[in-house]
Amino acid sequence: MASVTGTAISISARPSRRSLQVFNGLSVVKSVSFAGQRKSIPSIRSHPATSRFRVSCAAKPETLAKVCNIVKKQLALPENATVAGHSKFADLGADSLDTVEVVMGLEEAFGITVEEDSAQSIVTVQDAADLIEDLVCAKSA
Amino acid sequence: MENGVRRWLVNVSQWNPSEAQFASVISLFPVDEQTAITRYIKFEDKKRALVSRLLQYSLVHEVLGIPFDKIIIHRTAEGKPYLKNSIDFPFSNFNFNVSHHGDYVGIASEPLCLVGLDIVSITTPKQETELEFINNFSPYLTVLEWKNIAHAGSSEEMLAEFYRYWCLKEAFVKAIGAGLGYGLGRLEFHHTNWTGISAYIDGVESKKWRFSLSKLDEKHWVSIARGLPNKADELCCSNLSLPELGFTFRTLEELISNVN
Repeated sequence: MASVTGTAISISARPSRRSLQVFNGLSVVKSVSFAGQRKSIPSIRSHPATSRFRVSCAAKPETLAKVCNIVKKQLALPENATVAGHSKFADLGADSLDTVEVVMGLEEAFGITVEEDSAQSIVTVQDAADLIEDLVCAKSA
Repeated sequence: MENGVRRWLVNVSQWNPSEAQFASVISLFPVDEQTAITRYIKFEDKKRALVSRLLQYSLVHEVLGIPFDKIIIHRTAEGKPYLKNSIDFPFSNFNFNVSHHGDYVGIASEPLCLVGLDIVSITTPKQETELEFINNFSPYLTVLEWKNIAHAGSSEEMLAEFYRYWCLKEAFVKAIGAGLGYGLGRLEFHHTNWTGISAYIDGVESKKWRFSLSKLDEKHWVSIARGLPNKADELCCSNLSLPELGFTFRTLEELISNVN
């Protein structure tokens, strides 16, 4: 088959070495040191996993609708499944691959970049839509 | 003599319970687990979640002898399940990991080393080409890994190659319990035809980890990551160099009958 070296595996222009977020309200470790602070048995974190983040723009209905649509398509949910603001990403069955794709899809659709810190507290689709609205507002400000 | 090591797999595509059957299996678990299972919207996700718990409880029961109704499994903030019951030596570091994707749900346990398990189901992307799909993951692969994927052959072969790398990375991240915030692009896997796998972290070969990758069927691969916890002692180090145990297939009926 024709060599792919010349073609389309483009390394995307996004910032490299971004850490992946989990859209199910679980906080994530941003970096793990191998020098050895990790205990041998995983333990519960001392701080709450989810903390409300501040949003200056709550999502417009059309933003929420667009987010729901992208999520629904990405997760290949059945036609009769409801994806609404209150839907939790975890319950929609998003795995790690899905999560990357949903983030990328949202970034592309809205022309934004989602930072680690903000993404950490996203539990529901509404949270994601609010965050996106915030980023879109900030971009055009 | 019980050594605490298990590698189990269930092929869930072979289990098609009626609503009543499903309800009766779910009722075997504590209420908070039931809630966690039924929250999933897609039935396939509910099924996999149920089988995952069945594997966890059965394994703990079999290895450690704790009665089903006394088993307490909690999750870390990153979502990794662990046994809350206190355990005596020699299993004081006992840990396990579960994974599910596609047709399979699996569990792996170790008495001393950290263990992580991941199953991938190679799925042709529906809304984009294989290349476009793989490109989404560019920040999480190293230059060398990209090159290997690019040279794998057809689109299907590139996709499969990507999934194999992803499978290993996930197993590692799950073993350390880091959740998906870990910078996967820091991790580079070297291998000879997917054997003799070693991991380089930030460019340095890690001597503390062993990996294996095996094919379950045409579309499914499974990986195991085993590593030394920080205060690793002699016993744990020698444990690490033991050859990887193969997987045993379990059936739902067997697992359910263990509960009763």
